[in-house]
Amino acid sequence: MASRLGGLASVLVGSGLVLSLGFGAPARGTEADPEGPYGIPREERYLYRPVPAVEVATQQGVVRLDRLWGERPVLLTLVYTRCSGVCYPFVRSLRDAVRRVGGLGRDYRVVVLSFDPEDTVETMAAMARNVGLADRPDWIFGVTAPTSIERLTQAIGYWIRWDPAARQYDHPAVLIGVDRGRVVRFLVGATVEPARLYEVIRELRGEMVGTYPLPRKGVLFRCLQYRPGRGTALDWGFLLLPAPGFAAFGITAFLFWSVRRRRACPVHSPGGP
Amino acid sequence: MDRVTPVLLLEVASAGIVLVFAYVALRSRRAGAVVPSRARRLQVGLLVGLLGFAGLLLAFTFPRAPYPRRAERPDRVVFVVGKQFSFAVSERPITNDSEWQEAVAFGEPVTLAPGELVEFRVTSFDVNHGLSLYDPDHVLIGQVQAMPGYVNRLRFRFTKPGRYEVLCLEYCGHGHPRMRGYFFVK
Amino acid sequence: MLHGEASLAWPTPVLLERGEAVSEAEDVGFRRMTLVWVATVLALVVVLGTLGWLMRLTQGNWLTLRPEWFYSLMTLHGLGMFGTWYIATMAAVTYLLSRYVRPSLSASRFVYGLTLVAVSLFVIATLVGRFSPGWYFLYPLPFYSQGVWKPWATAVFFTFVGLLGVAWLIWEVSLLGAIARRWSLPQALGWDVLFGRRSVSDVPLAVHIATVMLVLHLSALLSAVVLLSLYTLEGIGTGIRNDPLLMKNLVFYFGHVTAEVTTNLSFMVVLELLPRLAGRPPFRVNRMFAAAFNVILVLIAVTYLHHLLMDFAQPFWLRVLGQTASYLIPIPAAVVTIFIVLTLIYGSRIRWTLPAVLLYLGVMGVAIDGIGAAFISSTPALQFLFHNTLVAVAHLHLGFVMGVVLINLGFVFQFVKELSRSEESSWTTWAIPVLLAIGGYGLVLMFSLAGVASVPRRYAIYPEELARGVTMARFAIVPLALLTAGALLYLWELVRRWPHAWAASRLSSSEAASS
Repeated sequence: MASRLGGLASVLVGSGLVLSLGFGAPARGTEADPEGPYGIPREERYLYRPVPAVEVATQQGVVRLDRLWGERPVLLTLVYTRCSGVCYPFVRSLRDAVRRVGGLGRDYRVVVLSFDPEDTVETMAAMARNVGLADRPDWIFGVTAPTSIERLTQAIGYWIRWDPAARQYDHPAVLIGVDRGRVVRFLVGATVEPARLYEVIRELRGEMVGTYPLPRKGVLFRCLQYRPGRGTALDWGFLLLPAPGFAAFGITAFLFWSVRRRRACPVHSPGGP
Repeated sequence: MDRVTPVLLLEVASAGIVLVFAYVALRSRRAGAVVPSRARRLQVGLLVGLLGFAGLLLAFTFPRAPYPRRAERPDRVVFVVGKQFSFAVSERPITNDSEWQEAVAFGEPVTLAPGELVEFRVTSFDVNHGLSLYDPDHVLIGQVQAMPGYVNRLRFRFTKPGRYEVLCLEYCGHGHPRMRGYFFVK
Repeated sequence: MLHGEASLAWPTPVLLERGEAVSEAEDVGFRRMTLVWVATVLALVVVLGTLGWLMRLTQGNWLTLRPEWFYSLMTLHGLGMFGTWYIATMAAVTYLLSRYVRPSLSASRFVYGLTLVAVSLFVIATLVGRFSPGWYFLYPLPFYSQGVWKPWATAVFFTFVGLLGVAWLIWEVSLLGAIARRWSLPQALGWDVLFGRRSVSDVPLAVHIATVMLVLHLSALLSAVVLLSLYTLEGIGTGIRNDPLLMKNLVFYFGHVTAEVTTNLSFMVVLELLPRLAGRPPFRVNRMFAAAFNVILVLIAVTYLHHLLMDFAQPFWLRVLGQTASYLIPIPAAVVTIFIVLTLIYGSRIRWTLPAVLLYLGVMGVAIDGIGAAFISSTPALQFLFHNTLVAVAHLHLGFVMGVVLINLGFVFQFVKELSRSEESSWTTWAIPVLLAIGGYGLVLMFSLAGVASVPRRYAIYPEELARGVTMARFAIVPLALLTAGALLYLWELVRRWPHAWAASRLSSSEAASS
């Protein structure tokens, strides 16, 4: 019996891991059918779509999402406490990334919302304690009504599927940047990389990047570098722009100096006055 | 910004310059150079006037620049990729050549609603192209460069319903005059 | 050299005075060399102008040219004219500088030979190889010909650019070296007047302007060296690729600075020649001039950024810098250079000969172009509507045809007229400028109107919905014909005097004076 349970547990954990590995793939590189109901949500379909202002119940009381994002942008993620798969690792990686990138409280708040109707304010508080985020004012762990869950998940393309065999929900791991009620970025993946989070924060902060360079191999000199974590910065190639000006001055100065030096030396004096 | 007024003002200013030159040329026939102190005063006046004008114009035109503003959030995103010699205009990102081919050949035309703020994400897969927006009356109402290796973001709000053409505005080879894309506003 | 009222029989020569630095033999050499440059420039302009005709006729649907051919001709016309008028101006500058310093005649001859070789390569690349990425060969278009031109044509083209760059580098360094023999760099740049105690420099204004502009253009050539090196690294298959944004910045730095330098060197020609024609003393470098040209030196290096206003990839602050610098740069030109020309002419009782009229009109053209360039071409809100339409074409034709070209034509006519010791008829004195002005401004107007009407530039064929482009191209034939008539009349007047001028150029000024 113990070995059977053990075997079942390992299958559960294993499938959870496999699922999370699958979800750990970068958001863009997915092969999942975007049209299928259980594919990985594609960011562009939901970009700038409005997010319903659902009510979130927390240990501190009830708050509407629009009141939250009215004050500052919100990073929203959907989890459930009975999760033996990706949820806890995901929230921990989000916690670590937020710590690395900074700006919490000033630029944004995080809402960790449960989509499981069986979750309560207490179970979510327990989850918060579990990941070391209890009593943090800018980390909001809460639950919402089942009808709100449905409105929310439909609006942002999130899907939830109950697996009776595993007695677990199958679901993607997402992080949504919400600014004034609209989806600004949509990250999918089992872990939150600080670099990706930084991009989301910048967007939320309203830093309008009129462009962003695409990665290209073999480029020798670039004007700009897009360094995740630092944003767009000038690269060495940029020096090639003012360099000719300074070099021209230098060459001219040298030319004048050497011609006048030769003039001072009678042996090399050219003809003429 | 309206296109006719600045050009009219330019013509008026040009006419002014012609008149000044004509006047001076006519006055060359009568002897008598400009008094240096008067010339100095004119110069200083011109300097101050032009500096002031430049400053005012900067202040006026700066906020009207077509660069995307931080505070706005667009309602829609449209992806445009230029490649010799067609534009693919799509609601889905186009990340490689085959997606581009598919979008150009079989893609559903993008339809936008009037009044919504649209963000174009523009790039090129080969050479520099120029994304231009020609309204249903074939008037150029905006543009942005499509540079390979970069994604440029242009935000625009369309009001007139109809078919909009995207013509290439950066010379890109012999097919340049026939390179185009389109979308609808309705 | 001060002159009183000009004699009615034959005006005292104002150009043909030998400078102290050059010997009689060298002076003859420079005169001949200038004539050779002039003849070459005019021959090139005739050919390149014809290409312009072909383009307008094609756009007006009167001629059918396949796009591949249209665009080779466009590349040849654009880069050809751009380079040719730079050469013309430099030839005039070299001659004028020979009155104050001793340029190297052998360098000048060598540069001429190299230029001819380079230009031949260019013609081969475009007319034989059908190399047609346009005159600023924007990266990476030379590598994406879609079969229209082969890699050999690209290689030949870049060889041409390299050779021309070497030729111009030698030319400029030799002129700077000649200046260096008489003055130090701070003196030549006017810094002793600007920052020191002196209120007037003994550096002639021509030398001062030439120094500033040559240093600037040296930087443009160096950026072309970088550009060419990066192209070559990629072209020879090292696997290295270049950043399109960097390459665009480099090519526009090169192109824009060359255009500005050409314009300012043309101003130098005006400021040398016009006082003498007006019987006024030559200008000296005072604080005003030194300040103006040093400010222009700094601003020119930065104004090129206005070519990238519609590249949102370009860092925002660089675009702001471009707009600001472009708004500021007409100021020293208006307040100093153009103002000085106007005060010079006012009350001068200048004898309005053809050269004087052409020089004066040329300054006016640059003034008009200056405001357009500043305020239309450098305002992002307007560039949003006009960038890469025929408005851009209007702007560059205005500045070049009605500015630089007229000034150079004025210089050339004065030069040939003095050498050939001929007078001019009052009919041609007025017919030529009137035809050139109406034709030139008419041509520019048609381009502007078309651009404002949303007609794009560089379209060999206009699509159905832009049929107004065809109509306007057809109307443009009228001013183009007038411009051509004026140019042909000018050429005729020049050709008539040429044999005498050529013969007289062999004589030194003392021999010529006594004969």
